[in-house]
Amino acid sequence: MKTWIKVLTIAVAATVLIVGGSYAYFQYFTRTRLLVSTTTSLWETGLLNATEQAFEAKYWIDLGFIPVGTGQAIQQAQGGNVDALLVHSPSNETQFLQGGDGSCRKIIAYNFFTIVGPASDPAGINGSTTTDALKKIVDYGRSNNTRAWVSRGDGSGTHTKEKTLWAKASYSYTQISQESWYASAGSGMSATLNMANEFGAYTLSDIGTYLKLAKDHTISLVQYLAETKDLLNVYSVMAVNQTRHPSVNFSNAITFIKYLISDDCQQLIDNYGKDEYGESLFHSAVQLLKQNSTSQIVQWIKDYAFINGTECPPEYRDPRYPELYS
Amino acid sequence: MNILDGLLKALQLIFSGDPRIVEITLRSLFVSGSATLIAALWGIPIAMFLGRSNFRGKFLVKTIFTSLIGIPTVALGFFLFMIFSRENGPLGFLGLLYTPTAIIIGEAILVAPIVVSLATSAIEAVDPDVASLAKTLGASESQATFAVLREALDGIFLAGIASFNRAIGELGVAVFVGGFIAHVTELLTTGIKLEIDSNNIDVAMALAIILLVMVFGINLALNLVQRRKK
Amino acid sequence: MTPIAELKNVTKAFDDKTVLEDINLKINQGEVLALLGPNGSGKTTLLKILAFIEKPTKGEVCFDGKKVVNRNFEQLRLESTMVFQKTILFSASVYDNVAYGLRIRRTSENEICEEISRALKLVRLEGFEKRQAKKLSSGEQQRVALARALVLNTKLLLLDEPTANLDPKNASIVEEAIAAANRELKTTIVIATHNMFQAKNLPNRIVLMNNGRANEVGTPAEIFGKLSKTLASFAAVENTYRGTAKMTKEGTTSIDIGNGVQVIATAPNTGEVSIFVSPEDIILSKNRLESSARNVFKGSIIGIQDLGSVVKLRIDVGKPFTVQITKGSFHDMRITLNSEVYLAFKASSVQII
Repeated sequence: MKTWIKVLTIAVAATVLIVGGSYAYFQYFTRTRLLVSTTTSLWETGLLNATEQAFEAKYWIDLGFIPVGTGQAIQQAQGGNVDALLVHSPSNETQFLQGGDGSCRKIIAYNFFTIVGPASDPAGINGSTTTDALKKIVDYGRSNNTRAWVSRGDGSGTHTKEKTLWAKASYSYTQISQESWYASAGSGMSATLNMANEFGAYTLSDIGTYLKLAKDHTISLVQYLAETKDLLNVYSVMAVNQTRHPSVNFSNAITFIKYLISDDCQQLIDNYGKDEYGESLFHSAVQLLKQNSTSQIVQWIKDYAFINGTECPPEYRDPRYPELYS
Repeated sequence: MNILDGLLKALQLIFSGDPRIVEITLRSLFVSGSATLIAALWGIPIAMFLGRSNFRGKFLVKTIFTSLIGIPTVALGFFLFMIFSRENGPLGFLGLLYTPTAIIIGEAILVAPIVVSLATSAIEAVDPDVASLAKTLGASESQATFAVLREALDGIFLAGIASFNRAIGELGVAVFVGGFIAHVTELLTTGIKLEIDSNNIDVAMALAIILLVMVFGINLALNLVQRRKK
Repeated sequence: MTPIAELKNVTKAFDDKTVLEDINLKINQGEVLALLGPNGSGKTTLLKILAFIEKPTKGEVCFDGKKVVNRNFEQLRLESTMVFQKTILFSASVYDNVAYGLRIRRTSENEICEEISRALKLVRLEGFEKRQAKKLSSGEQQRVALARALVLNTKLLLLDEPTANLDPKNASIVEEAIAAANRELKTTIVIATHNMFQAKNLPNRIVLMNNGRANEVGTPAEIFGKLSKTLASFAAVENTYRGTAKMTKEGTTSIDIGNGVQVIATAPNTGEVSIFVSPEDIILSKNRLESSARNVFKGSIIGIQDLGSVVKLRIDVGKPFTVQITKGSFHDMRITLNSEVYLAFKASSVQII
């Protein structure tokens, strides 16, 4: 009996030591941690890595990104498991704010989705409008009984956008997603692009990830449609609501948001990838919206990503930080 | 990028001692090593009990542990995510989600059945009279227990190696409770997944090579030690 | 003389099976005591109580003048050691096997080294230190086990059937080592045996055991003198039979042990006698052998007991006989339960007691 007690004591002691020790080490002997769940497209282009380095050089905060689809990012935030989130799905964001889990939304950047496909363009979508292009792809897929379209299928922002586009082209997503020419990848953007490349199929991609893969010669897909209003892609950041989720690191989340909208970071976003890809992967949005110019792009952003005519309705702002919206 | 290019770049990364790769490798070793250690500290006494006693339902308990060996990592990861989830999870108040500690706990739970099952078999294979022998040569109760363990050492070693391999190679738990946060919870397996997602084939390949070499190397080293002992 | 160990009304039961019942026994300092009895008579359990591996269910044990209680149980264990019937070795070298008990006693490594070479010499295994114990022959293994006990130089040495599984050569080495330990180190020795000869030659006193009781205690002469009368209750000892002897024309003795089995012996005797045939002296064959053996019986195998290097067989020839053969012969002869075999032994191998 004595032996068992001894053994048990050792097991408990060692477990407490390892668990407690590693926890203490990672929790207290390092900087305060700020957890941000983020959409995969931002992560996969490497932009967030660059942002993280610049941010950590400036603040004594350990920034950690969890790259998941927008859908999962919102779930994590709803559970109070992360402190902030970076996403690109205005409709989901609106729901999230209205659900009371988020606050302090700021639009930080935009770019465009693009429809890419094989160089031979078997469906002949080159030069079409988005709606026409989708119709041609459906016809091509149905008549040739071949894989014509690969979808993210993971509840991400890109996936949400795709559903919107199908609806706009008067297709029922539930119906076409069952058809044999339609493949649902259920994974990140790179994996989806690789799959489309293998199948010789079309897909909807954010421009950043597409350019990165095309430049690495991983894929031979060609970009057919870009920079139209219905392909607009807007990224925003939100803090998780502190009143609803008291355990979150709210003040650091605000620091992070302030950093993202700072001129330094906006410039970083603007310039990211310019040298490597010959064009910017992302465009800064803060100055543009602040100046409230009448340019077409500002109007598109307002139409697409504003909630009740503003990037963040007053009830979801934090009165302690008015500077976010000045 | 073709395989050869990727391989060359991967080897370059490894041999140049790329700090990120070193960091991920060390963290992986630490996390799976700790998990194996905890699992062994709990599992071996349980195995000792199962291997040396007879009670009603022992067969059932052993069967449960044996079937738990095959527990899908994704299911366990998801289950632990629910438990550690900060607000709804029963252990959420500990704030363990997305920390290496959570992965250690998860992997320890994952591999404990391996330790228990393999070590139980090893201990059962030891002559039941070894404890009596040790005692009659003067051993106290705990020294006799230790003598039995030493006779089962080969099997217990195997249990340890198998556990470590499972821990270092699993993805489900690491993804769900670790969240593959760069510089915090990124491990070899999650690193491979992430780098493939980001289309950094060379880094993914470097991590995969390290993972394979490590698993192979550790097994080889332990087997050599075992053989020399013979 | 003060007894080294004393059992008072000791009873031991496992679950509801009583294996020892009301044992009263004094073991004198420096003596060799034999526990003689059939398998299952409680000898091993009695030894384990004296070795402080088992605790009695009822009754009291005194050791070296001290009453044995829970508190000093593990301490007293250091003063008494036991060699099991089945050879058990640690998976380690001969040296590490023999060193185990000394290391528990925190003996210095220099001293351990000396003690080990002395003990190995006693069992004639000089120079075997570095060999892997489990790779030795079974006879050598049992000698390692004996050396491992002898090296401790305990006040009490307990031996459970030390030669039962050994060939004659190894058995005699073991018996000599036991005798030397008693003679030179004054170690008190208790041997459990069902071998009549061992019981007759080695010990100072014999305890007759049957069904968990110590029936009689006495010198070998006293016990063997009485044995023929009490043998009815003692018939379970291997190859011991009771029968009526009569002289034959050739000058041999023919003993009718019942069920039509006639055993021929050389020693002249008549009337009610007990006889014993050592299991090692019986030759087993698949066919009837042309030989000088006067006793040849046909029978079938009714029991097989694997003892490592040797196999014990029970053969029914009208009366059950126990025969001991090596594992090698056992495999060569392809013996299974109910196999038909022949037993042969010389008339001179039959001991009339």
